[in-house]
Amino acid sequence: MGEMNRSRLFSTFVWLTGFALLPALAPGADDDAQRAAMTFFEKEVRPILVNRCFECHSNTKQKGGLRVDHIGYLKTGGDTGPAVIPGDPAKSALMEAVRWTNEDFQMPPKNSGGKMPDAEIAILEKWIRIGAPWPEDGSKKVVVTEGGFTEEQRNYWFFQPVKKVTPPDAGGKWVRNDIDRFIAAKQAEMKLKPAPEADRHELVRRVYFDLHGLPPTKEQIDAFVGNKDPKAYEKLVDELLASPRYGERWAQHWLDLVRYAESDGYNADAYRPSVWPYRDYVIKSLNDDKPYDRFVKEQLAGDEIAPEDPSVLIATAFLRHPVYEWNQRDARGQWDIILTDMTDTTGELFLGLSMGCAHCHNHKFDPILQKDYYRLRSFLAPVQWRDDLTLATPAEKKAFNEQQAKWEAATAEIRAKMDALTKPILEPRVERALTRFTDDLQVMTRKPADKRDALEKQLAGLVERQMEHERRTFDPMKSLKSDEAKAEYKALEAELKKFDALKPKPLMEAFVATDAGPAAPAVAIKTRKGEQQIEPGFLSIIDTSLPKIKATKTSTGRRTALAEWITRPDNQLSTRVIVNRMWQYHFGRGIVATASDFGKLGEPPTHPELLDYLTTKFVKGGWHLKPLHREIMLSAAYRQTARQEPDAIAAKVDPSNRYLWRFNPRRLDAEQVRDALLAVSGELDPEAGGPAGDGNSSRRSVYTMKKRNNPNELLRALDMPAGFASTAERQSTTTPTQALHLLNGDWLLARARKLASRVEGIEDAWLAVLGRPPTDKERATAEGFLKKRAGTTRPASDRAADNGEDAEAFKENSPHERLLVNTNEKEGDEFTVEAVASLNSIDVNASVRTLVSRWNGGKDSLESFGWSLGVTGEKSRYKPRNVIVQVVGEDENSNIGYQVVASNIHIELGRRYHFVARVSCTGKNITFTVRDLDTPGAAVQSAVVPMDIRSKLSQGSSQIVIGGLNKRAPTHQWDGRIEAARLVTGYVADKALAADPEKWDAGLVIWRASDPLNSMFAWNGSDTKSVEEADPFRQAMNDLCQVLLNTNEFFYLH
Amino acid sequence: MSCNRFDHPTSRRDFLQTAGCGFGAVALAALMGEQQAAAAPLRVAHRPAKAKSVIFLFMEGGPSHLDTFDYKPLLNKLAGQSLPASFKAPITAMGETKSPLLECKRTWKQHGQGGLWISDWFTHVARHADDLAVIHSCASSGINHAGGVCSMNTGSVFGGRPSLGAWAQYGLGTANQNLPGFVVIKDSEATVVNGVRNWGNGFMPAVYQGVEFSSEGTPIKYLDNPKGVDRLRQRDKLDLLAALNRDYNASRASNTELDARIKGYELAFQMQAEAPEAVDLSQESEATKKLYGMDNEATAVFGRNCLLARRLVENGVRFVQLYSGAGSKWDSHKGIEVNHSRLCNAVDKPIAGLLADLKARGMLDETLVIWGGEFGRTPMSEQGDGRDHNPTGFTMWMAGGGVQGGRTYGATDDLGLYAVEDRLHVHDIHSTILYLLGIDHTKLTYNHKGLPERIDQNEGHPFTRLLG
Repeated sequence: MGEMNRSRLFSTFVWLTGFALLPALAPGADDDAQRAAMTFFEKEVRPILVNRCFECHSNTKQKGGLRVDHIGYLKTGGDTGPAVIPGDPAKSALMEAVRWTNEDFQMPPKNSGGKMPDAEIAILEKWIRIGAPWPEDGSKKVVVTEGGFTEEQRNYWFFQPVKKVTPPDAGGKWVRNDIDRFIAAKQAEMKLKPAPEADRHELVRRVYFDLHGLPPTKEQIDAFVGNKDPKAYEKLVDELLASPRYGERWAQHWLDLVRYAESDGYNADAYRPSVWPYRDYVIKSLNDDKPYDRFVKEQLAGDEIAPEDPSVLIATAFLRHPVYEWNQRDARGQWDIILTDMTDTTGELFLGLSMGCAHCHNHKFDPILQKDYYRLRSFLAPVQWRDDLTLATPAEKKAFNEQQAKWEAATAEIRAKMDALTKPILEPRVERALTRFTDDLQVMTRKPADKRDALEKQLAGLVERQMEHERRTFDPMKSLKSDEAKAEYKALEAELKKFDALKPKPLMEAFVATDAGPAAPAVAIKTRKGEQQIEPGFLSIIDTSLPKIKATKTSTGRRTALAEWITRPDNQLSTRVIVNRMWQYHFGRGIVATASDFGKLGEPPTHPELLDYLTTKFVKGGWHLKPLHREIMLSAAYRQTARQEPDAIAAKVDPSNRYLWRFNPRRLDAEQVRDALLAVSGELDPEAGGPAGDGNSSRRSVYTMKKRNNPNELLRALDMPAGFASTAERQSTTTPTQALHLLNGDWLLARARKLASRVEGIEDAWLAVLGRPPTDKERATAEGFLKKRAGTTRPASDRAADNGEDAEAFKENSPHERLLVNTNEKEGDEFTVEAVASLNSIDVNASVRTLVSRWNGGKDSLESFGWSLGVTGEKSRYKPRNVIVQVVGEDENSNIGYQVVASNIHIELGRRYHFVARVSCTGKNITFTVRDLDTPGAAVQSAVVPMDIRSKLSQGSSQIVIGGLNKRAPTHQWDGRIEAARLVTGYVADKALAADPEKWDAGLVIWRASDPLNSMFAWNGSDTKSVEEADPFRQAMNDLCQVLLNTNEFFYLH
Repeated sequence: MSCNRFDHPTSRRDFLQTAGCGFGAVALAALMGEQQAAAAPLRVAHRPAKAKSVIFLFMEGGPSHLDTFDYKPLLNKLAGQSLPASFKAPITAMGETKSPLLECKRTWKQHGQGGLWISDWFTHVARHADDLAVIHSCASSGINHAGGVCSMNTGSVFGGRPSLGAWAQYGLGTANQNLPGFVVIKDSEATVVNGVRNWGNGFMPAVYQGVEFSSEGTPIKYLDNPKGVDRLRQRDKLDLLAALNRDYNASRASNTELDARIKGYELAFQMQAEAPEAVDLSQESEATKKLYGMDNEATAVFGRNCLLARRLVENGVRFVQLYSGAGSKWDSHKGIEVNHSRLCNAVDKPIAGLLADLKARGMLDETLVIWGGEFGRTPMSEQGDGRDHNPTGFTMWMAGGGVQGGRTYGATDDLGLYAVEDRLHVHDIHSTILYLLGIDHTKLTYNHKGLPERIDQNEGHPFTRLLG
């Protein structure tokens, strides 16, 4: 068990503020009187306290923060202040409570026994009147210092100034730099011995993963291992620190800490399309070695310190990361949650203290007052989330505005006409969005913006976002009532389009925050007894000075003042916290292991002097991170091997390696695993920066979309944080479901196939995946495996024929898997799909063979809005071979809905059919017609099936695809022939349908296999040209590669 | 609020080192993440309890308590009028504070010896009235679906905390290592609001997360071997993997995570065999299937899921959550008659079948069945014939697991808007459910960022009267 038994805190740690004399009676009282008082207390008073109050106010529970099991607690009181003022019953809250004079403050409460008998109340009154005598209890004597904190609290190491430390003279020849002297001194004390230096193979793998999050290539390994230069290691570290890959890796740590995500996190989980510049800002800041103090200031107050500089302004996205619910009518509640989240994160991230505990009461374990929590919150309280700013320089804005003005002037008349058509319908909707809020919020939103106070601006801002949502999602073609009006609008739209050349390119939206104005909203602690206004301030225990706050014309200046304080060179909290984090990410464990909690509940530091030594050096060196990385990585401590088993002493005194008798073995992080898989399969796309790709893209994981409700499965299975709260330490879990994913999931299998296709044989596979040749034993094992599975250890000479020339054939693992359609036009919510096709097989499970789609297969996000026409699989609940349409859009209640609309028309395999599905959101149904073309005179089968989805079928992010879904998913792909397919806007009349595609004359998309392929279409297929089954050796090699990608050696740095 | 209970911190590695590295420790490690031992798991109940497992029937979207289990004669008397001024105006999702009260069109009858009022939307369930502990005074903090569903599942309106099923598993462990301890089954392929994080592990290790079973075909994602890979080929791959890993691990014995990974793959392989068996309904008689309504199209889907739930519980799954109306289908801002008629009909017989079957097999005492949604609905109308969300007072019921049925607990006001008597906030409901499983929720803590986290965020109280 851990060396620190925390329960001892309870006996020694007494929470008291403003506690004066302990002996209850005034000095000079004689012994008899004292004894009488004690007898009165023990016989009369204590039983009342025990019977009436202890259940909720003693050692197990402290409702309202109050304990009554010692006079000290009573005098200190709870959340609402002192409970007992000795000698003054009238001023003692305890009496007010037990007398039930205040309706909101009645003790004991109705459901816990109710009001006490009057006789008992009289006893309590008498007891307080005579000075509230209490028997002395030596063990609870508490020494109080200035400000109400105890000596013990003040002396707590974390609150002490950072010490100037001289490295101890220890370690002898092992020492490479000063870090090692501290490590060696501690080891000597504990009789531990450091491990030998790691060999070059181990080192090169470690530093590449550590600094770049990627495995070294074979060339990179060879270059380092074979380098005779005595400075080879130093040079490697410098080289890697200078590479842009460094920022991509280390940004991930910071993104964890700021709970970076790219979606709102509630029901709609709307994507945040303009948050990614913040991610790029973090990467660039690290690559540029921006001083940490500057980095902090920009994120907390970039809008105040450099409002005109877009590269600084974007840093305030830090204040935008909390989750957000777009349709929350409780605007006050939502804003409170957002502010709480910002305050908690700021406390953990920069100060290393869990402030959250002090939100409702003084912190139970650390000397953080509830007031301190609100003081911190006061700095952040003026923030307003802005949607009206752009990431552009003043010059860019000026140019944009000038051009925009030209376009507006030229189009004023057209737009006025459009508004005249839409406004009568749109405005009542916007008004309705407003009246869904409570009256007080409506009143403040109706005020002119310049008449609102700060809080009103913030809340009305939230209300207006919902009004704006109505405007943004308004679809005139749906809402305009008459066909006439629609036609008129369309014509105007076309007219407007003619001016597009005049229109400036839109500026990048700024996902940032500023203050609501130069005046701050009030911040108050609310308690049962009323409100107390709180001004910004620091942690009372270390700094009671008032912050120097300078308001600007547009901002309170509060956050600048907070940032200045956090980045003061003598701030003992923030400086140690960041240095410790650097250490933690390098060694897998911080000098303080709980990197966001340096308080009493966290772990004590293993090497406090080293932490102070590094902190002093870091601040003195200008807050640069790269020299700190360098110093840590050049130490002998860092260069130790992880391949050292504990000796008897280590196993006994330090089994978990707190004192670094070896390097800590570690599993790769989720992103390291995914990136390494792509790297070794040769697919890694090095494109840096910009909007994120989805999980199927080959870009680094830091550029993968982070949707809070829809995380990348592989990354989440490997403990990527969910992005709701700041994460300081990642987990490393092992579960059977994780193993299933890695064994059977398509994504990893595809990497294995890619890898197998690029390696020559066993030796090559080992080198690619593990960066070393196989041992003789491993080679024999692998050969045995290949022989058993394929009967040979060498590839067959000829491969399966490629039949990719047949334009009608859609086949898995061929170049013609799916046909992607490139068009920006949308079919809307009324459309017709028509195709002539035959199907060779259905899925053995429940997957649907897809004929035509606009769908990514998702069911729960705005991006996944779409539809798909296809044929059901063997285990489908709609029975096999059923022609169905799957739709994702908004239902009647504007919730995201997914529905399977099944025709119950079942087709036969291997026959040509003419398929038609006419989808109608206004008709609330889908009309299917299917005709067997191989059977002369076969009747047309048709069905009209109700549909619950009402809108937005074409609003998702997917493109139109023939023969599959928007992403590659073999079980969902068509297996057979598609001769032609078309997609037409609107409900196509029976007479305009045709089983002969040559007769098709109109459509958004028309594709015929017999026509030459035009630029609107692009084939997408598997690059694995050989079909696995046809080549047992290829199959066995794929398996071998998949196994290698699952090995512990690949997953661990050990 | 008090934050004074927590376990002794220690690292997983310490724990395993001191516990010895035998198979037991390794198996434990396989099921434990790095952090798990950081808050030493309890794995035994604090108090003897009847309930060993839970089946939570989640009506997603917010079923109307006013039209099902909470009979309010005054509502029909005042229908068409505004909410009387004596009621505090609530904040509702769609702002329907001032809309006229909507009458309840149901026929109500008293059922069982306890005389529970149940509407004609639940006539089958009503036959089990004497098993139902109907709690009329539930309350939640989430006024929207996202916050409501998240709250009912995790206790918080926003994500990031472990779900109830995760806490139950954390507290009691699983009774069958070859199956997940926490299984979720939905009634359609639609996504539950907020997606998978409703059954997530939050800040706990991933081993506690709920695993989604599909009710047809392959029960667990990635359970099937890749196309073209038979069990023999999969075995060969695993053998090769184990051989390579064993060599690698041999010189690294102190790193027990490495062995845990070997075990993880073996468990996965066993799960591939066992999970399909657990959901194989061909072993069930036609009579049983009929009992659950599987012979009728309208009730077949939820009936099937209820029967699967029973089989999973029989096989040692600790916590099963069934979603009805996945994707907020119970949501009925308009046309509540049509909406609820269909959905109540879809679940009524299956739920009654589940209760009857559990009872007949002697499993009801050990299985706590919970019915409810993320909130109820308002007495005020919306769009003429619908009801808005009501998180301030709604009904859930429990059966089995030792609860005393045939009676109601708590009450809403005369219009069913606010819980007024024995109000049970979600935190209290969660505490109560753990209590019924024998767990003292104040002692079941998980150390996270230096705080001893509890399911109820230190605010819940178990409603012990349910045990009678």
